[in-house]
Amino acid sequence: MNATSHGTSRRDFFQTVTGGFMGGALLSLLEPEALAAPLQPHFSPRAKSVIHLFMNGGPSQMDLFDPKPELNRLHGKSYFDEIPGEVENPQAAGSLMRCLYKFARHGQCGMPVSEVMPNLAKCVDDIAFIRSMHTTNITHEPALFIAHSGRMLPGLPTLGAWVSYGLGSENQNLPAYVVLEDPNKLPVNGTQNWQAGYLPPVHQGTRFRAKGAPVLNLKPAFDQPTAIESLERDLIARFNKRHKAARPLQPRLDARMASYELAARMQVEASDALDLDQETEATKKMYGIGGKATDSYARRCLIARRLVERGVRFVQLFIDFQIWDNHTEIKKGLRGCCDKTDQPIAALLKDLKQRGLLDQTLVVWGGEFGRLPIAQLPSDKNAEKAGRDHNKNAMITWMAGGGTKGGVTHGATDDIGLAAVQDRVSIPDWHATILHQLGLDHEQLVYKRNGLEERLTSVFEARVVKEILK
Amino acid sequence: MSLGLLVCEARLRSHSKYAQNRAAMFPGTFNYCLTMPFATAVWILGSHLAVAAKPSVVSQHDIVPLMQLRCTVCHGLRKQEAKLDLRTRESMLRGGKSGPAFVPGKPDESLILKKIHEGKMPPRRKVVSVSVKPMEPREIVLLTQWIELGAPITDPPLGKPQSLSEEDRNFWAFKPPKHLSPPKLNEARIGNPIDAFMLRSLKMKGLDFSAEANRQTLIRRATFDLTGLPPTPGEVQGFLQDNSPEAYAKLIDRLLSSPHYGERWGRYWLDLAGYSDSDGGQDSDRIRDHAWRYRDYVIKAFNEDKPYDRFLMEQLAGDELAKPGSVPDEVLAENLTATGFLRMSSDYTFANITGFVPDRIEVIDREMEVLSSVVLGLTMKCTKCHEHKFDPIPQEDYYRLLATFKGAYDEHDWMRPRDGGGPSYSVPWPTRQLPLPGIHAKWKTHEEEINQAIAKLKANGGEKKNKDAIKKLEGKRRPEPFIRALWDRGEPSPQYALIRGNYLRPGALVQAGIPAILSNPNKPFSPRPPWPKAKKTGRRLAFAQWVAQPNHPLTARVMVNRIWKHHFGNGIVRTLDDFGNAGARPTHPDLLDWLATEFSRRKWSIKAMHRLIMTSATYRQSSATNPRREKLDPENKLLSRMNLQRLDAEALRDSLIHVAGQLNEKSRGGKPDGINARKDGLITVPRGPNGWRRSIYVLQRRTQIPTLLTTFDLPRMEPNCVKRPESTVAPQALHLLNDATVNQLAGHFSRRLIRETKDTSAQLTRAYWLALSRAPTNEELQSDRSTLEQLSAQWKKELGKKGTVEAIHEKALTNYCRALLNSSEFLYID
Repeated sequence: MNATSHGTSRRDFFQTVTGGFMGGALLSLLEPEALAAPLQPHFSPRAKSVIHLFMNGGPSQMDLFDPKPELNRLHGKSYFDEIPGEVENPQAAGSLMRCLYKFARHGQCGMPVSEVMPNLAKCVDDIAFIRSMHTTNITHEPALFIAHSGRMLPGLPTLGAWVSYGLGSENQNLPAYVVLEDPNKLPVNGTQNWQAGYLPPVHQGTRFRAKGAPVLNLKPAFDQPTAIESLERDLIARFNKRHKAARPLQPRLDARMASYELAARMQVEASDALDLDQETEATKKMYGIGGKATDSYARRCLIARRLVERGVRFVQLFIDFQIWDNHTEIKKGLRGCCDKTDQPIAALLKDLKQRGLLDQTLVVWGGEFGRLPIAQLPSDKNAEKAGRDHNKNAMITWMAGGGTKGGVTHGATDDIGLAAVQDRVSIPDWHATILHQLGLDHEQLVYKRNGLEERLTSVFEARVVKEILK
Repeated sequence: MSLGLLVCEARLRSHSKYAQNRAAMFPGTFNYCLTMPFATAVWILGSHLAVAAKPSVVSQHDIVPLMQLRCTVCHGLRKQEAKLDLRTRESMLRGGKSGPAFVPGKPDESLILKKIHEGKMPPRRKVVSVSVKPMEPREIVLLTQWIELGAPITDPPLGKPQSLSEEDRNFWAFKPPKHLSPPKLNEARIGNPIDAFMLRSLKMKGLDFSAEANRQTLIRRATFDLTGLPPTPGEVQGFLQDNSPEAYAKLIDRLLSSPHYGERWGRYWLDLAGYSDSDGGQDSDRIRDHAWRYRDYVIKAFNEDKPYDRFLMEQLAGDELAKPGSVPDEVLAENLTATGFLRMSSDYTFANITGFVPDRIEVIDREMEVLSSVVLGLTMKCTKCHEHKFDPIPQEDYYRLLATFKGAYDEHDWMRPRDGGGPSYSVPWPTRQLPLPGIHAKWKTHEEEINQAIAKLKANGGEKKNKDAIKKLEGKRRPEPFIRALWDRGEPSPQYALIRGNYLRPGALVQAGIPAILSNPNKPFSPRPPWPKAKKTGRRLAFAQWVAQPNHPLTARVMVNRIWKHHFGNGIVRTLDDFGNAGARPTHPDLLDWLATEFSRRKWSIKAMHRLIMTSATYRQSSATNPRREKLDPENKLLSRMNLQRLDAEALRDSLIHVAGQLNEKSRGGKPDGINARKDGLITVPRGPNGWRRSIYVLQRRTQIPTLLTTFDLPRMEPNCVKRPESTVAPQALHLLNDATVNQLAGHFSRRLIRETKDTSAQLTRAYWLALSRAPTNEELQSDRSTLEQLSAQWKKELGKKGTVEAIHEKALTNYCRALLNSSEFLYID
């Protein structure tokens, strides 16, 4: 086992063990594998963790971070006939529709941000915007599969699962990949957004809940005093020790005993990570905990910080189904989305920065596609209630921290925001960039299956977006 | 007119100033940009921009796929708007109500181009409702050029002829298996020829078989292997007391005739088929109401020991096996139900917006992955886009396979998985549901009887007066019996090999066929309609007949290898789905061939193979190991001992319920048992009106796999599962310790012990027999008794005056039972 192949050998070893035909010589390595032990990256990483703020629904790029004066000028002009194959609801397609809010320049970099993101606007000097993102499907489900797993297919491993597979966990008592779902409603595609696909199930996202028992089955689902619980556990340990003693050289039995010890440690550590009472009032206020619109998302943002502090590799935050899917009344709806998330996200960036964590934590924001420059009209054709339909050819995302440059934009859309035209960034490019910051080469991070060396970026030519990296 | 001139013309038509400005930004795509009103649209075209220029000669094989892609949904096989059929050159020339679609050599006078340029065709606001995209500028150029050239019918040059080397043909897995005589060894332990093969390789390493496992271990191992459940204490004791030399063989026979056998081994097959009760893909993950009939078909086939060749024939081409009316309805129904095998993939094409041609091709690709990995043991997924990197499988082989299945799986004549999914522009999408022969007629009669009875009541006394009687009759209605089937419809569209797997880049026209490396020059693949005047191509039937040949290089080998895997934990070829160059080589090639030929000789009886394997000394070895065996055979490739095996997800859950005395063993099959998805993510299988049935009868919804099962590695089927992963992780411990259902079962277990025995010692002893198939040792009994006393003391303290002696004992015993169910001995089979 040499240094360069260390990670792979360890993984092969684990697969061999679980396949059931391994000797006892490497027994001592087994225990950490019962969760997801840290593995060596391919090269020196810039970020230790990722916080992925996923915005299900498709945030409208030209109304948030990508102002389009030409679109404002052409407001009302008919345009559908130019793009009939690109509209999900052709019957409802209206004319070009201007940007909905006022933009102003912010920070030293002078980044334009619309008025509905007042808090984030103060952080632009730490943010790299990618204005030229695009995807390949205009329907939520397939587009979500693409955003999370690179391809338009259900059942493939997601970005977080690949990171867990590639790097394991820094903290043996917590999972490498944690999902903070919205207690209100799961995103479209539900738990498929954090599945492990064909990777071993240990790499799937573990759902942590803000209320009640943080992890499924972490505590007994029935009343039982602790003294009895420990008697029962001692009994199990005795059964297993005796069983094991009669079966020497069976490392799988040791692994199983280790998994019970790990379960006990996880109970303590997970509860501690989610205990927001350990935070000061000032911190809670900064995130917006207690605020009517902000409370729910603020809690998840604060928990995310506590998790990366504890060495969780990949934290993914979801928000209430697909609230960014503003097909109708976008002017009101989009503002509502921002009201819920703007303050908590800005606080997260500030908090990470003041604790010296931002440089090692890559924060990523974005959805599954963007929105069209034309209006989508309700059945009564009332323009006041217009929304915007899905757009696969232009979407915006941003990254902060974790070795990315602040105060920059990368790429551009055309004059009306219909399509990314300059320095286009595909989803595989975006995936490769995130992996790169973690020290992983997207072409080397492979899993052999069905005669193929499967990878997150599949067969696509992916390019790391070096321009936004320090 | 050259292509260049056409582009210029397009440029003149372009009415946007943006086009030229933007074009300058993308010199590489200059021409395309010019044809678009907005340069940005170039990106909308997507990846095919990198395509090299079309060959200078445009033929009808460039145009036919184009028509299929953009036009024929309304002007084709199923629908001919304006009496126009655009599927072939001839039908285009024949034209419709307004005349011929084009005039050869005269693009300007051609109706089809006129309609396209006017933006009338395909109708822009309606395209999404028929899952079609408007024609792209590049395609319009192509069509114009073809018409300009006089609509040549030249065939494109065929793909390069296969150059298969002698070395390719001599690869072990591509040659038929040989029936080799087992080595002649004079050894007492040789029970049957398997042992001779095994012992020869063990001896070469200086190893020998391990000692035979004790009888308690053997019955536990065999019972789990064949039924997925633990033996009952009575069964174990009966076996221990049977001193006859045939005791073990009788045990195997008894287990093979148990109806639980099909539930265990049927599940393995359902993994391969990727069985699922839901569509997947979309958020709604809709339930497939009739999928369970295929599940029941598989269980029945295993229980009846249906010959494997017949089993494959039915699943691959059941619709082409017998003409309706020529066989009893039950046979027809079984044949058709079997074709559900290739209807299991996740599929969201029921909706307009997710039912475009590339979406459909994905569905077909997934089924081809199932077919090649399961039936052929070959990886062919990569050949969709390029020739195989390791095996002599050219890209055309993949498209030959698609052509073989095209009578049933045609992306240009699509059958939706169900009704509904947005308004259609009056296109009658057929669905994949067939009325179940025989049963459907009975159902219809039954429905009519109800209708008549209700009509009679309404006539005599009226609806109000007979309200209750009518309601009662309505309650007798049954759901319409359908099957989810695959059937040939006789008119497949032509199949083109897609360059780089891109549906926008059709290449050479290909015919139905089998992989070249496996073909026999003396036996050409020549499908015929299966019976006179059948509206079926017979292509899948020919394929199935080829697969089911006794000397097929792969069919028998691949299946015996799987059977072996489920008995020993590993296959003779460890890569169960890859017998090719990149797969593992067989650890015992002679044995594999011997088993494969034995399989077809024994009329493809799977049960015969179980008997053969399980009565071998190889199978009956102890799993105990020692440093020498670990050193000389670290991965146990030689089987110098049995492998310790963990229960899979279903065996674990079924055993928990079984041991608790709660398993309903009488109710089998039919509609799946429901699940309960809690908001916090826990998915349970509540005890239904039928009690708890085996896990195979629980709803297999892709997005809602019961937490216990998924935690113990039941994967989501995408598209199938050729080998279950096996993990050992903390959430498994947390689930067995803290879950409410496990607690409920532990409670049932403890009350069962109290009910069935008199005192504490007897309860503990019975617990061992039920959960572990053995009696406790005195030492175990003593220490367990003492723990139970400690537990009781704690519960007494906890419950105070409320706690009766009985209540305290039951609670303590429940803790004890749960501990036993958490033990490694319960989960691992020696």
